Amino acid sequence: MADIKKAAVIGAGVMGAGIAAHLTNAGVEVILFDIVPKDAKNRNAIAEGAIAKLMKVEPAAFMSKYNAKLMTAANTEDHLGLLGDCDWIIEAVIERIDIKQDLYKKIDANRKKGSIVSSNTSTIPLKDLTGGMAASLVPNFMITHFFNPPRYMRLLEVVISDKTRKDAVDQIKQFGDVRLGKGVIVCNDTPGFIANRIGTYWMQCGVVEAINLGLTVEEADAIGSRPFGIPKTGLFGLIDLVGLDLMPHVANSMQSRLTKTDDYQRIHGQPAVITEMLKNGWIGRKGPSGFYKMTKSPDGKRSKESINLKTSTYGPSTKAVLESLEASKKGGLKALVEHPDRGGQYAWKIASQGLAYTASLVPEIASTIVDIDEAMKDGYGWDVGPFETIDKMGAAWFAEKLTKAGTAVPPLLKLAAEKGGFYRVDGGKLQYLTTSGSYVDVPRAPGVLKLADIKRAGKPIIKNPSAQVWDIGDGVLCFEFASKMNALDPLTFAAYKDTLKLFKTNTQYKALVIYNEGPNFCVGANIGLALFAANIAVWGEIESMIEDGQKTYLALKQAPFPVVSAPLGMALGGGCEILLHSDAIVAHAETYIGLVEVGVGVIPGWGGCKEMLLRAKADKRLPGGPMPAVAKAFEMIGTAQVSKSAFEAKEMGFLRAKDGITMNRDQVLADAKAKALELVNGYQPPKDAVISLPGATGVAALKLALSGFVATGKATPHDVTVSLALANVLTGGKTNHTETVTEKDLLKLERKAFMDLMHTSATLARIEHMLDTGKPLRN
Amino acid sequence: MSNVVIAGYARSPFTLANKGALKKLRPDDMTAAVVKALVARTKINPDHIEDLALGCAFPEAEQGLNVARNIIFLAGLPNSIAGDTINRFCGSSMQAIHQAAGAIKMGAGEAFICAGIESMSRVMMGGFNPMPNPILINAGHAAYMGMGETAENLAKKYNISRVEQEVFAVESHKRATAAQAAGKFKDEIVPVPGEGGMIDADGCIRPETTPETLAGLKPAFNEKGTVTAGTSSPLTDGASAVIVCSEEYAAKNGLIPLARILSIAVSGCAPEIMGIGPVLSSQKALKRAGLKLDQIDIIELNEAFSAQSLAVVKELGVDLKKTNIDGGALALGHPLGATGARITGKAAALLKREKKKYALATQCIGGGQGIATVLEAM
Repeated sequence: MADIKKAAVIGAGVMGAGIAAHLTNAGVEVILFDIVPKDAKNRNAIAEGAIAKLMKVEPAAFMSKYNAKLMTAANTEDHLGLLGDCDWIIEAVIERIDIKQDLYKKIDANRKKGSIVSSNTSTIPLKDLTGGMAASLVPNFMITHFFNPPRYMRLLEVVISDKTRKDAVDQIKQFGDVRLGKGVIVCNDTPGFIANRIGTYWMQCGVVEAINLGLTVEEADAIGSRPFGIPKTGLFGLIDLVGLDLMPHVANSMQSRLTKTDDYQRIHGQPAVITEMLKNGWIGRKGPSGFYKMTKSPDGKRSKESINLKTSTYGPSTKAVLESLEASKKGGLKALVEHPDRGGQYAWKIASQGLAYTASLVPEIASTIVDIDEAMKDGYGWDVGPFETIDKMGAAWFAEKLTKAGTAVPPLLKLAAEKGGFYRVDGGKLQYLTTSGSYVDVPRAPGVLKLADIKRAGKPIIKNPSAQVWDIGDGVLCFEFASKMNALDPLTFAAYKDTLKLFKTNTQYKALVIYNEGPNFCVGANIGLALFAANIAVWGEIESMIEDGQKTYLALKQAPFPVVSAPLGMALGGGCEILLHSDAIVAHAETYIGLVEVGVGVIPGWGGCKEMLLRAKADKRLPGGPMPAVAKAFEMIGTAQVSKSAFEAKEMGFLRAKDGITMNRDQVLADAKAKALELVNGYQPPKDAVISLPGATGVAALKLALSGFVATGKATPHDVTVSLALANVLTGGKTNHTETVTEKDLLKLERKAFMDLMHTSATLARIEHMLDTGKPLRN
Repeated sequence: MSNVVIAGYARSPFTLANKGALKKLRPDDMTAAVVKALVARTKINPDHIEDLALGCAFPEAEQGLNVARNIIFLAGLPNSIAGDTINRFCGSSMQAIHQAAGAIKMGAGEAFICAGIESMSRVMMGGFNPMPNPILINAGHAAYMGMGETAENLAKKYNISRVEQEVFAVESHKRATAAQAAGKFKDEIVPVPGEGGMIDADGCIRPETTPETLAGLKPAFNEKGTVTAGTSSPLTDGASAVIVCSEEYAAKNGLIPLARILSIAVSGCAPEIMGIGPVLSSQKALKRAGLKLDQIDIIELNEAFSAQSLAVVKELGVDLKKTNIDGGALALGHPLGATGARITGKAAALLKREKKKYALATQCIGGGQGIATVLEAM
């Protein structure tokens, strides 16, 4: 299959620029086009401005700041000839068919043979776009619909016609999957494709019913979010995020393109409150306010207001307090929709209309329910797809409740009710219901290995409440954190030790992968446990917990088999330390790594200081001499630096040059397993490291740097205490650069510094504050 | 005894470190280009040159080893010229001039190249391996105190307000902008290769600087302080060089002297107020020249910081009208080791251009020192 090395994105708006940035994340060179502004001196001003904006946008569009260098700004009057070098040309201009069709003519005149052209349209059907299109372009044309922001939203909807080249479709599917890390879903050529078809209905329904039932926006967003597994921004919050100004456009396009009998037509319409808000320019976060409004009083206090859906005026936001919400915490969505209060009624209105509507759309918009569930999860950030949600309540129960309420039950839901659900597990395999009534294995794309699938089919080899070990085949075991939020505690270490023993007695096991399916790899140790131990002054317990962790991590590092860590999401504190002790790391591109212990007033105590130092010492990008490696580790740990991507983690030195980065999270485990097997042959565990460090002179240098932070107000008094403890560890204690220290010397220093800090009340205050508020205390 | 003269002055453009057009240029290449051009412009016979004395504040990495010797090779000068690298921090290349002057007075050579080098992009302040003495650090000694902090100390001691500092900085940019627009740096600048081709103009000057823009900046060194990035000289890349020779040698060999060196001095002061250093060194040099400050027509006072410069102005009684008439380091930049040769060469050139009699070039030095040179028109 041809590779995509160079691409063009035409249209440097938010979506076009974001798509272009994400293409550079995949290592592709991109030419970003836009029109020439009227009377412009700089004819590339729009595209250049978009690139400049991309470099500042939060959350970051680029996975590495160097990626901007892969992007070239161009304009559609002077530079269309550059399309001749591009393997993939993405059109992301305004949603006007005349403009698009005119552009396609120009693209076709300039593109090279074999290149693929796609549109990022969200509203115009493929059949309309290709109407009157040159026969030379039609087989090379498709819709590739990204979601905003393109780096972070995982869904890529692809729409093709029967005239589209099959190899072009395969190429985009493969590239989207492996290189862009997307969940690629081929949808039918129907209005809104999958996610926006359901999403638009859902939002319209949510707004209309909230008004009908007299809910506040806070109540509607509390009900319409977490209980449904929908992000906590809720529906009104989401509209604020997307922009109210886009709503009429999307709604009207949907209404005009959907058939007269589509249920959307029934609920379509612009509520008075939205008309009023649009008139006032209250278009959401892009404007001064939306359904929510952040205000700042003269004394700098921020407060939140929200709109009254009846009067269209703002008032102070109040937290939703509803009995139904409380009921849902125990009884889930089912308890919520059964509750008689207005929250329960609202939930039922959304569920009954939204879920039933969704169930009526297969096979119209997608060939399987899996595609729909995946699309809503990847495109709208839902934790569970609509069919999974129905299964949670029970398909039969739901269908019956619909019937009782006088609502028509779609045939597919009726079928699921009869068969016992949309999904089932058979022979350890997850299966889904087809429209013909049979169950078929949920397909997995090539290169995908899911721990969830392995877990469904088997039993763990080692299991305690904090960790489990699974056989993932070919002699490779997978160590999975299993405690609440994957926090590390003594049981995690017990499981590590059991794993080490297991390898000793079972020679069929060759390598270990440390991995879990998140959402976060591990955000560190259970600090509540540490605080409890300190409060009852069992200092010996704390110290032995530290020493035990140090020994275990060192044993894993020096074990006679390769250990590969495979993080996704956050890998912080103790979670980062295990990465640093691994032979190799295969990280998902969206991995956020850091040693953040100073935030709770301690330093990494399980070998993290030592390992960060060893990494810095081995980092050839740093200058030589006694100080640079020490200063680097001091900066990384002392200021709790966290990478904003795996690529950045490599630049920062958490990942080594040889460590792998996988764009698609579903392929991380397979890649990590392959890496582990690659290391098996001739594997030699690392020996005790011996390094030279600057000792007291190094502390003096770091103190000097620290004094600047104090003067500029960047370091608090306890920051100084913690930093000095850290400086003493990283400089090697009583040594100087003509002598050497061993790993064990450093571990001893680390332990002592950790314990000294645990004895300070300021550290305990930091831990307590973190546990109470989730935020670091600046004392 | 022979008189010592300055018979030529040249420098590279001064550009912002880390973001300017010269950040990728090796400092030894930059200095070699300046030295080579100076030799060509003055038409001095290289075989007559005794030594290349080169000032550098952080003689490490690309400006490490004895970089002066390598610059002789890079500039294609004869092997017969010796080379030495001198460190008196910011006073380094003025010290190079003093050293040459002393040697000429000793009869130990007739002609010298005195140059300065500093790429603050490529060798950061403090160097790659800062290893301060723990005895001094733990005693809280100011030996290693950051320069910004010393400026804050002077602002406090001399009661110099933030506004005064900003007015001074705006004036520096105004003068530098006017001089640049009038082409007054053309003669002294040697174009060197940088990003986007040959760079022939200074890059630190901000013509748009106003009291309002400066007022918006946060304090850079102390959260409660008054010194900002706008009232500090920027980190800069640059090189400079002068020809120092005996008056007889210049006359005999057709060199056109810019000015005669009347006297030189160095002095020490408390490190925490290092910026006051020029006061004592200037007083010593003036006394040695038999002159009073009010006889001086041209003053080049290095502007490390507004607060530091204004403290010297107050203490010494300097007339700002005569001082840094083409702008100072706040606008032009301060490539540490290269500044001394720039301000001495500039003072000599200004005497000639402005047809004045006496000039003083002086600067402060980290660790608590001052250095000064008094010049006389020829």
